[in-house]
Amino acid sequence: MSALGHYLEEEGIATVAISLIRAQTENTKPPRALWVPFELGRPFGPPDDAAFQRRVLLMALQMLERDSGPVIIEDFPDDDPRAQADPGWCPPLVADAGGNGPLETLVARLQSEILQIEDAHRLWAAQNGRTMIGLSGLSIRDCARYVADWLNGRAPKSPRDGFSAPLMLRFAVDDLKACYLEAGAAGNARPSSRQLGDWFWDKTAAGAAIHRLREVCLGSEDERLKLIAGNFLVPAMRVRGGR
Amino acid sequence: MTRLSDLPPTQARRLAELECPEFETRPWVTGPELSRRRVAIVSSAGLVVRGDDPFRGRDADYRAIPTDTEAGELLISHISVNFDRTGAQQDRNVVFPLDRLTEMAADGVIGSVAATHYSFMGASDPTQMESHARELAGRLKNDKVDAVILAPV
Repeated sequence: MSALGHYLEEEGIATVAISLIRAQTENTKPPRALWVPFELGRPFGPPDDAAFQRRVLLMALQMLERDSGPVIIEDFPDDDPRAQADPGWCPPLVADAGGNGPLETLVARLQSEILQIEDAHRLWAAQNGRTMIGLSGLSIRDCARYVADWLNGRAPKSPRDGFSAPLMLRFAVDDLKACYLEAGAAGNARPSSRQLGDWFWDKTAAGAAIHRLREVCLGSEDERLKLIAGNFLVPAMRVRGGR
Repeated sequence: MTRLSDLPPTQARRLAELECPEFETRPWVTGPELSRRRVAIVSSAGLVVRGDDPFRGRDADYRAIPTDTEAGELLISHISVNFDRTGAQQDRNVVFPLDRLTEMAADGVIGSVAATHYSFMGASDPTQMESHARELAGRLKNDKVDAVILAPV
């Protein structure tokens, strides 16, 4: 972001950046930046809290009226209230945590679970009228089927012109995660991202399947596939065994 | 929750010490008061409008997001899995505060909202982004934008 700010400002357009990593911003020195103490992925704070988001945005934009730079780095004073767990939240389904059994069992569990999560996602869709599923262009069932084919060692062809098979695998996994995490957030409770992540990665067949998929793909001889599987399927904080 | 402290130490250190090109200048553009500014969002979340070409890896170019884009038409194609997406799934303003900007324009806090906003993919090499960013500046000027909020993930 800091480099983008530099280039745009050099071209004559004033910029102010939100900073999620203060040390990085101090290092890269953008013209103006507002550091926020929120988790990565939430530069304007909690979802569905317009007043809070507006405070963040306004404090940042007001830095454009200052005449004491460059460089200005300031700190937003309050943390994200939605970072706290909601004890009233219940996940839409809970599977056996283990993903180490026979591969066929895991694939069967995934395909049966998909039917349940589709039902749960309908509640999300009815409540919100939107979804962030869509990168792969596949239905959720087809995403699960594509992942299952990879798990079974079939190295399937890409189902979409212009997109390589490993890229489609990444997008199918992204869509599966979006489906589960949206379904998990349906209802009136306000689960934290930690709650949703703990549930998805530890208590669903899909989470177990993606962990297993990563392991299977890391055993491949295809370096591109290994790169994608090793870095872009499972969050670093969720990788098991440090591999 | 994914804070820097949740990441494995090597990854956290790499993010904190992320290399940025050494610049010889420190540009600083001033302008009118906020209530007369036209504001655009430039995100690095790898945002794309549904149907547009997603970011495929470390693409250094950008995607345009018209200001009338519906919430359900926005997708995140950022390559990293190490940031929270659940907030943005529930409310796009967590990463792309277009509704907040629109309200601020209606209230007279800012002058107006740009016709088009933009997204890069933040894990790309900044030096590769330079030509695209400079070309983007021309587009922003054509839209009379004189303030940009840079939104990372």
